[in-house]
Amino acid sequence: MTVLSSRRMISPAMKRARRRENISAYIFMAPSLLFFLGFVIFPMGMCLVTSFFNYTMTDFSFIGLKNYVEMFQDAIFGKALVNTIVIVVVSVPVTCLFSLWVASLIYKMRNFSTSFFRCVFYLPVVTGSVAVTVVWKWIFNNYYGVLNYLCRSLGLISRNINWLGNAQYALACIITILLTTSVGQPIVLYVSALSNVDHSLIEAASVDGATNTQVFWKIKWPQIMPTTLYILVITTINSFQCFALIQLLTSGGPNNSTQTIMYYIYYNAFKLSRYGYGSAMGIILAVIIALFSALQFKLAKTDNG
Amino acid sequence: MQATAKAPRRIKEKQDNTDHSVHRVTPYIVIGITILIIITILFIFPLYWIITGSFKTQQAVNSAVPVWFPTGDTVTLRNYTELFSRPALTWLLNTVVICAAAMGLTCISASMAGYALAKKRFAGRGLLFSIFVCAMALPKQVILIPLLKEMAFLNLHNTLWAVILPTVGWPFGVFLMKQFSESIPGSLLEAARIDGAGEARTFIEIVIPLIKPGIGALAIFTFITAWNDYFLQLIMLNDTRILTISLGIAKLQTELSTDFGLIMAGAALGSIPIIIIFLIFQKFFTRGITMGAVKG
Amino acid sequence: MKKLLALLLCLMLALPVLAFADDTVEITLWTYPIGSWGNAETVDGIIKDFNAVHPEIKVTVQYLDYSSGDDQVTTAIEAKTTPDIIMEGPERLVANWGAAGKMLDISDLWAETKDDIIAASPAVEAACKNGEGIYYEYPLCMTTHCMVINYNDFEKAGALQYIDEEKHTWTTEGFLNALDALNAAGFVPTAVVYCGGQGGDQGTRALVTNLYSGQFTNADHTKYTMDSEANIKALKQLQELVANGKLDADPGIVAGDEIALFCNSTISIGFCWNASAAVSNKASLAEDVKVFPMAFPSDDGVPELQGGIWGFGLFDNGNEAKVAAAKTFIKFVCDDPAQAAKSVYASGFFPTRASLGDIYAGTDKAENGEYAIFMPYLGDYYQVTPNWAAQRTEWWNLLQRIFAGGDVEAEVAVYCQNANK
Repeated sequence: MTVLSSRRMISPAMKRARRRENISAYIFMAPSLLFFLGFVIFPMGMCLVTSFFNYTMTDFSFIGLKNYVEMFQDAIFGKALVNTIVIVVVSVPVTCLFSLWVASLIYKMRNFSTSFFRCVFYLPVVTGSVAVTVVWKWIFNNYYGVLNYLCRSLGLISRNINWLGNAQYALACIITILLTTSVGQPIVLYVSALSNVDHSLIEAASVDGATNTQVFWKIKWPQIMPTTLYILVITTINSFQCFALIQLLTSGGPNNSTQTIMYYIYYNAFKLSRYGYGSAMGIILAVIIALFSALQFKLAKTDNG
Repeated sequence: MQATAKAPRRIKEKQDNTDHSVHRVTPYIVIGITILIIITILFIFPLYWIITGSFKTQQAVNSAVPVWFPTGDTVTLRNYTELFSRPALTWLLNTVVICAAAMGLTCISASMAGYALAKKRFAGRGLLFSIFVCAMALPKQVILIPLLKEMAFLNLHNTLWAVILPTVGWPFGVFLMKQFSESIPGSLLEAARIDGAGEARTFIEIVIPLIKPGIGALAIFTFITAWNDYFLQLIMLNDTRILTISLGIAKLQTELSTDFGLIMAGAALGSIPIIIIFLIFQKFFTRGITMGAVKG
Repeated sequence: MKKLLALLLCLMLALPVLAFADDTVEITLWTYPIGSWGNAETVDGIIKDFNAVHPEIKVTVQYLDYSSGDDQVTTAIEAKTTPDIIMEGPERLVANWGAAGKMLDISDLWAETKDDIIAASPAVEAACKNGEGIYYEYPLCMTTHCMVINYNDFEKAGALQYIDEEKHTWTTEGFLNALDALNAAGFVPTAVVYCGGQGGDQGTRALVTNLYSGQFTNADHTKYTMDSEANIKALKQLQELVANGKLDADPGIVAGDEIALFCNSTISIGFCWNASAAVSNKASLAEDVKVFPMAFPSDDGVPELQGGIWGFGLFDNGNEAKVAAAKTFIKFVCDDPAQAAKSVYASGFFPTRASLGDIYAGTDKAENGEYAIFMPYLGDYYQVTPNWAAQRTEWWNLLQRIFAGGDVEAEVAVYCQNANK
């Protein structure tokens, strides 16, 4: 194979074959590329361009890197960045580990039980953010919310805690709700991945006297690594882009304690009509996410060898 | 052939899922199941609250003392009659049309692109894939204004296509299908080529059956993502007749009103089709989303 | 046969002519939910009446809501897909989109009716135009935003003595005494100063400025004056009340949540209320809640209430025919002798033309008339001050920081610095 791919040894037949391969590949890519270029790349390009302009409702003048400079001096942006990273750093591992744990418990059950639990964990995604918000707002309600009621009955707290109104707890509440909406997809994927682990390997290992834990970490875990990688990347992106929850529940408050970059972008672009500034922040967010994802890909590649 | 050798094993696993390795009821399992049940209640509760709330009177919905199950004078059908006095079914139909169209177009284009990226060696392959993945990183909010301008230019804004087309363009589907297509054995494709099958035949008769579970997963993920994409729908759709169910429900709320029963009725109505779709497509998941784990 | 064909040919030639003769103009109206104007049934009725007189103008309506309506309009402005007519208040039509040059000068609509409108309320006329006297809004209706108390709770706590039941007003001293009485009788929490970041801030603004008769901005609406002595005194008073537990403050709730708390009898006083809220929340009231609208407490007993002034504005889309049609529609809805009262009635608010008088007397909505007693207290409409959107966020943040225990003067200084940029 290596001999044939050396440039000097390519025959005309090879060239034709390669060109045919290229053409057929691009024909297969064509529909997707059409939509992608037209409705994702092109607007992205416009966004990149406008980030160098002072683009507001009344203005469109070129200002170079001024938006970016302002961003790095913006205290609220800094706070938003910290909050966003906290959300990601907490929710990604917790989501992955929790889904893995749940999946490991339910995949061995009878088909009906597995399907039932899988459906249950997917429900928050399915009911939509408006419904989820209404319910959680009620649960966290300062005066008659169920959480306060339970905590007081169990003697954990003596006075009602204002969960969403307290700068200390608000972010934790947001992360909790985010977790409930994030675990559905990973659980579904993990259940399938675990069910498809090569049985003969497991049997061989248990014959050799391995305990359950050893079987899990030494045999199953490496087999489901590609699933883990996919889940890590997607959960990271979703956590970075957590927006609807903030918009419906806290609007970034109290006192910017739940301000995230996504919400701050929305606030600048739509409430203050500073589209150029919002675009610049969007570009920076995209770069950060891309870096995180690249890191995760690299880690997974080295694991797989 | 490797594909056929794998098939019997998968079927066998589906029928016999119980793990024979260590099968005792340990304390770990008991505690685990208990916690699981508690968490399950927590997850089912929102749906329960929405459904019961949709049948409550306005007074009961706002009551400081929770009404766990509406009966007698706290139960009413008023929320649903109010909801259907608006074109709620039209909204539902619009949403289903958008999601089904997005689902169909995405499955076709993404499976083709995923196959090409995974299995074909062509110029610019690595770069193209990186661009696809990096594009997912950009938040949708910032491209909404350029997107609306584009749609206005194409005269598609305020139509359902304005929502369908950007959803199909979103590269998540290509990423998923590429991961999936990795597990197609190259030898199979080679054999098909030697047998003289053209690209189209190879794709339709060999590749698609192998990646069917992936297509099923993609279908359902796309449907749900399109359904929940509130902001895109908000910006692109203005006409009352083409609103989606989430938009329609949001517009039912006046600024200082506490008509949560109506909102919940809308949310309940909106979640029914999506639960149905999920239940239908669930069986695709049981056939193993291996993401290239099972190597030939 | 030939004659038949000839006849058919003539008819076919005539058809395009007929089509040309049928010159319907199509215009779009976007409206926020102002009373029943958010209800398709009501608006369709009004359009039907309009088409009876003007069948050549076709009106399509889109309904916006307050949580996302602004986003829709903002993107429409950028993509140049704005409607012909938009219905809302000066805060948006004059100070936001008008100031940005997106709206048309409609001074010509005011020509005949200016005096009538000024007679109803000079504040309305002043609010609908910008600093140079260009009119961007043509008003239809107005209202004042007030407070509400639970009459039953006040009665049981013996706090009715502190309010003027006839005029629905009270003094700051009366307010403080009422809070004490409610606390003593166990009606806790009494009220909540909501400072979550979404809307309804007219309630908290009015509360603060009225306590010691401070002003929110200076007279020519160029600067925010929260750092005046009176306002700082008011903020300190509120901070003290919250610290002593006589009043609650909550950064986690917004106006809608506060109203829900009032409706289910958790609190006895609500700061965000108006005639429309009374109608839409009637069915949610718990058994023991008796709604009694009140003006905000002021040290001299004469409050200055915030108002809503709703009317129509035209976006500059560059289409002459549509502009003319739009103006016809607006004139019909607002000034047609048979229609004007009906349009205002549909909104549930009060007319901006003195000539229309009391439109609720003897009708189903007679109780709306009750809220007319607040109209004389309509104060300065200052929502046209520059940097309004950013200021609103600063306002919520200010309240949050103050109720978290911050030093009032320092926090107000920060607020003024950011708002007056």
